[in-house]
Amino acid sequence: MAISDALKKLFPKSLWVYHVNVGACNGCDIEVINVLTPYYDAERFGIKLVSSPRHADVLLVCGPVTRQVLPSVKRVYEATPSPKLVFAIGSCACGGGIWHDSYNILGGADKALPVDYYIPGCPPRPEAILYGVAVALGLAPKKAAPVHTKQKFLEMLEKGEVPGPQLVAPPGDSE
Amino acid sequence: MTSVELIGKLREKFGAAIQDVCELTPSKVRVEVAPASVVPVCEALYRDLGARFLITAGIDSRAVRGCFDVDHIFSLDPDKMFVIVRASVPPERATLDSITPRVPAAFWAERELYDVLGVKAEGHPDPRRLIMPDDWPEGLFPLRKDVKYGDWPAVGGENADASYPWKPAPEGTSTVVVGPFFPVLEEPAQLRLYVDGERVVDCDYRGFYSHRGIEKMGDSALTYNEIPFVAERICGICGFIHSSCYCETAEEAMGIRAPRRARYIRSLMLEVERIHSHLLWLGIAGHIIGFDTVLMQAWRVREPIMWLCEKITGNRKTYGMNLVGGVRRDIPKEVQPELLEVVDKIEKETVAIVNAVIGDTVLKARLSGVGMLPEEKAKELAVVGPTVRGSNLPLDARVDHPYAAYDEIPPKVITHPDCDNWARVVVRLEETIESIRWIREGLKQMPDGPIMASDIPEDIPPEQWGVFVVEAPRGEAIHYVVTGGDNRPARWRVRAPTYQNLQALPYLIEQETIADVPITLGSMDPCFSCTERTEIINVRSGESKVLDQQELLRLSREATERLRGR
Repeated sequence: MAISDALKKLFPKSLWVYHVNVGACNGCDIEVINVLTPYYDAERFGIKLVSSPRHADVLLVCGPVTRQVLPSVKRVYEATPSPKLVFAIGSCACGGGIWHDSYNILGGADKALPVDYYIPGCPPRPEAILYGVAVALGLAPKKAAPVHTKQKFLEMLEKGEVPGPQLVAPPGDSE
Repeated sequence: MTSVELIGKLREKFGAAIQDVCELTPSKVRVEVAPASVVPVCEALYRDLGARFLITAGIDSRAVRGCFDVDHIFSLDPDKMFVIVRASVPPERATLDSITPRVPAAFWAERELYDVLGVKAEGHPDPRRLIMPDDWPEGLFPLRKDVKYGDWPAVGGENADASYPWKPAPEGTSTVVVGPFFPVLEEPAQLRLYVDGERVVDCDYRGFYSHRGIEKMGDSALTYNEIPFVAERICGICGFIHSSCYCETAEEAMGIRAPRRARYIRSLMLEVERIHSHLLWLGIAGHIIGFDTVLMQAWRVREPIMWLCEKITGNRKTYGMNLVGGVRRDIPKEVQPELLEVVDKIEKETVAIVNAVIGDTVLKARLSGVGMLPEEKAKELAVVGPTVRGSNLPLDARVDHPYAAYDEIPPKVITHPDCDNWARVVVRLEETIESIRWIREGLKQMPDGPIMASDIPEDIPPEQWGVFVVEAPRGEAIHYVVTGGDNRPARWRVRAPTYQNLQALPYLIEQETIADVPITLGSMDPCFSCTERTEIINVRSGESKVLDQQELLRLSREATERLRGR
């Protein structure tokens, strides 16, 4: 069974989402709110922002995880009833972003919680957030296939069996 | 008063305690004083000369001059002057007398000084930890240069179980815990309200949940021209002010100036940002007190601004426009008619919302007389932005310390005499309209020409400095740059407006009801309604009651309903 089919079965009704800022700059947070306002109106898909994790099916996590926030965000996750999904929204939540090596940052949201879906962007557009949720739930088709990189190619590259990448001047830049 | 007169006055009063004077420009002076005289000099500036405290920056200069430098930055608004009081303390005894008892606005700044640099403010009334996480090891100060970048203590060390030392609740009060998660906030933060019945007697605040260590990145990992992009990500709502402020500061330290057209583009984008930020805030404020229509309408009106930003800069937010020396993208002639069209449309709709809000008697009754901040108190706490202008003080960095293109087109400073939540709402609404006027004027007067300075020096000498303030939607942001080697600053200090405004919170909510706390907090535009849970512990009976966030929102909304029914 595909994951999206499983999700349809697990979350047959409206999705209630809870938004957690774990150290974000607010850029992703306002785009999450924006998704609920008239132009994007996520409520027409039954997606509703709730104000307690105890009511939520989905956690939308924004920002890089800071040391201070770690115990609290773990408690939020525990307070959310199962089955639950975690979306990492924005570049910081996906992998720590530009803050990844700073002293107060542990990294992306997956350093604190098990993350199910990643929606990158700095900040992701409201359309991207809607699309990400819709793809996860099987409401929209995936437009890009995952890219699988093979270690073997790198080995061949090192041995010189295949030509390496070459720098190409962008069009219009050449003499 | 000119800088020469100021220095004359200080020398006359303090004599040999004034060790050295460094005048960057006639409006920016750094005075080096003997450490023992820091308190009297700062007090004289604050009490006698009417200077306003901005921020303290601590610099680890041990490698250069064998000491820690502590710079207290003041602003003399009527004279459009910055004064920095510098004291150098020896590393073996890193303490300095606290100025907080005499200059109350330095309350947080001196706590932070110890947290990040380990220079203790002797005699500070509340020397608890402010910035660093609870589990951070004692005695490790990240902004010291001998702390290697990337060499951080692991989570779960010796202090793994440490918790924040909250203020003990006053006798006879109950404790209401709010946070640390709020739905629409710059940072998660925890607030403890000590209440007697419905009335708030006192409160305590633990913030800095989203402290990301950006100043350390600035002086160890980034270069001059990478910082604008990181600075923009300090705040996702008003990020452009941070990158503009950093660039203006760095330009000053390097002795260059962005071309006129670039400065106009900066100002235009700053005003665009102000409009979107104020509309965003209006929606959230409406949501708190139960006017969800305001939320939906304000955000609907705001959306075309976001599309326009995308058209001009390539992104809805975090524009990536600024570089030291100018801007990266021009506002092309073709976009200008569209810009004006969008601005016209937004003006029409914003005026409709503003009239609806200002004409709403229920709203007015709900907000008037709540969260009072009298002029004197606002001055003492050095609050900034609409919070101070709502207390009838005409402080606006665009006029007081003009930057970008505001020296050529000064905006109208909007104030309100009521000193309450209502005043702060009205100030923001009128500022939105004023920003629209500025955009029209700015587009009309924008000169042609280059957008990037051509005289950027190849090598930037160390020990140069610059300081600038930029008026963000929430108040003034301050950046202070001291140049260093390795193509990066030796110190880059940032102070966001909410840093100063939040310190006024205990005063604002004292003696208010719990239902008024969210909107009072909201009127300063930092953050509000708690998300995680609210726990009420009755100290007298030892009873404990857990409320969720809806309960608090419900209390706030019921207060509005009661007025409606009246």
